[in-house]
Amino acid sequence: MANWVPLWLHKLGSPPIFYRFAGVVRPWALALAILAALAALYGGLVLAPADYQQGDAYRIIFIHVPSAWMSLFIYGAMAVAAFVGLVWRIKIAEVVAMESAPIGAAFTFITLVTGSLWGKPMWGTWWTWDARLTSELVLLFLYLGVIGLYHSFEDRRQGARAASFLALIGIVNVPIVHFSVNWWNTLHQGSTVRILGPSHIEMSMLWPLLTMMLATKLYYIASLFARVRADLIATESGKDWVRAIALAENGDRP
Amino acid sequence: MSQFFAMGGYAFYVWVSFAVFFIVLLVDALAPLVRRRRNLRELRARMARSDARRRPGSNA
Amino acid sequence: MTPGSTSAACAALFRRDLTLAWRRRGDIAMPVLYAVIVTTLFPFALGPEAALLARISGGVVLVTVLLAILLALDSLFRSDIDDGSLEQLMLAPQPLALLLGVKILAHWLTAAAPLIVVAPVLASMLRMPANVIPALIAALVLATPLLSLLGAVLVALTAGTRRSGMLLALMLLPLCVPVVIFAAGAVAAAQEGLPWVAPIAWLGAALALALVLAPMACAAALRIAMDA
Repeated sequence: MANWVPLWLHKLGSPPIFYRFAGVVRPWALALAILAALAALYGGLVLAPADYQQGDAYRIIFIHVPSAWMSLFIYGAMAVAAFVGLVWRIKIAEVVAMESAPIGAAFTFITLVTGSLWGKPMWGTWWTWDARLTSELVLLFLYLGVIGLYHSFEDRRQGARAASFLALIGIVNVPIVHFSVNWWNTLHQGSTVRILGPSHIEMSMLWPLLTMMLATKLYYIASLFARVRADLIATESGKDWVRAIALAENGDRP
Repeated sequence: MSQFFAMGGYAFYVWVSFAVFFIVLLVDALAPLVRRRRNLRELRARMARSDARRRPGSNA
Repeated sequence: MTPGSTSAACAALFRRDLTLAWRRRGDIAMPVLYAVIVTTLFPFALGPEAALLARISGGVVLVTVLLAILLALDSLFRSDIDDGSLEQLMLAPQPLALLLGVKILAHWLTAAAPLIVVAPVLASMLRMPANVIPALIAALVLATPLLSLLGAVLVALTAGTRRSGMLLALMLLPLCVPVVIFAAGAVAAAQEGLPWVAPIAWLGAALALALVLAPMACAAALRIAMDA
């Protein structure tokens, strides 16, 4: 590989080093995520004024929009990791891709649920076949397909490689779905729902939104690292370094 | 304070949304910790079994 | 054709798959039978009102055909995996993507082409106006090979697993959404008396792309899934 890739990046590809690195980073990321989330909640629920059109219902935005961003961001991260894993056969990349999928599915689920909870008082309906909602639903099915395919293989690595391939097919599919659903909407004269245009958004509403976005990003790192650690313990259980960890953490029950 | 919790009449929608957000993420955060502990416990059990097989008689 | 050349191998594989399909003629009839059963259930569920049935006929026929293809997809590689001939195919000196393309073509001919033949009958049972049927056939002629190609990639990915029926449906759904939208869009446009060539052209473009890319993706997926 090229010389400019720092040596530590290579080292990070080794499971025991990644395990230790993830163990160090995870608590910090989690603590920062909780702090940022608390600040964002205070800003969003208490400090920000009620919207002149939607009253207090708009406050759902502070979790709905960051979750929607994360659902797409995690899919992108998963696809990049899947690509790296498939091309260079780096085990950590495969694990990262596969352990990203449940987190992404969780954020997609939150987006759908909060979206319909927001839609009920605003549009008068729980669900509308709007382009963004439909794409988000398709995204959830993509995540579930990746998770399902991964778990249907008996060999974990083989499952990870097959599911990585599916994730890459999916990333081609997402824009096509979005485009076709848009086309479908114009065909059927659907009501284009637009609550947040590209218009002005108040500073007092913007900063909690951006802080919450930061919090969800940090949470993703923390959750991903916890998952990767759990996964490595299972897949590397024959190795000495995992056995050493198993013995060292035996304090509770001698 | 009760005005804050009323959320201008939208209390149900707002608070259920936030509850869903935090419950889903809490489950997502706890699941790997439980899984890691279970995997380690199974590994210890497996190591103990293979030790016992290697040294028959000594009840390890 | 010299024996062992790529074209000879393709022809032999094509003949073999068609022969195998012909020996099990009952399996070819199954997707058709399934489509007929599902379509006859709709009038029972919704009532025999002609205007309502005509309105939903395009969508019902398309979704039924899609489900019937999904049902048939599982058998694309199943018998070849069981008797080990798929591994022979992967070891063959000819390009795997090409051979898989031939297999997909043979499968489409035996599983999907009969569905296109019965589709006008099903549509007429649902009172679809006669002038819409050309649009339906055009949409099906382009949409069914597209579904077969996309489905083949996913079937290849699940080749190394035991349970795959529901999983295949879950994986295919996101991929078939655009196909269904454009195929049904063409039929709906024809029903409203609007020009319906544009969505058909989109389907054709997607099919051209899939014809080139899907066999290669299928070969890559198969190598991943069968790599033991």
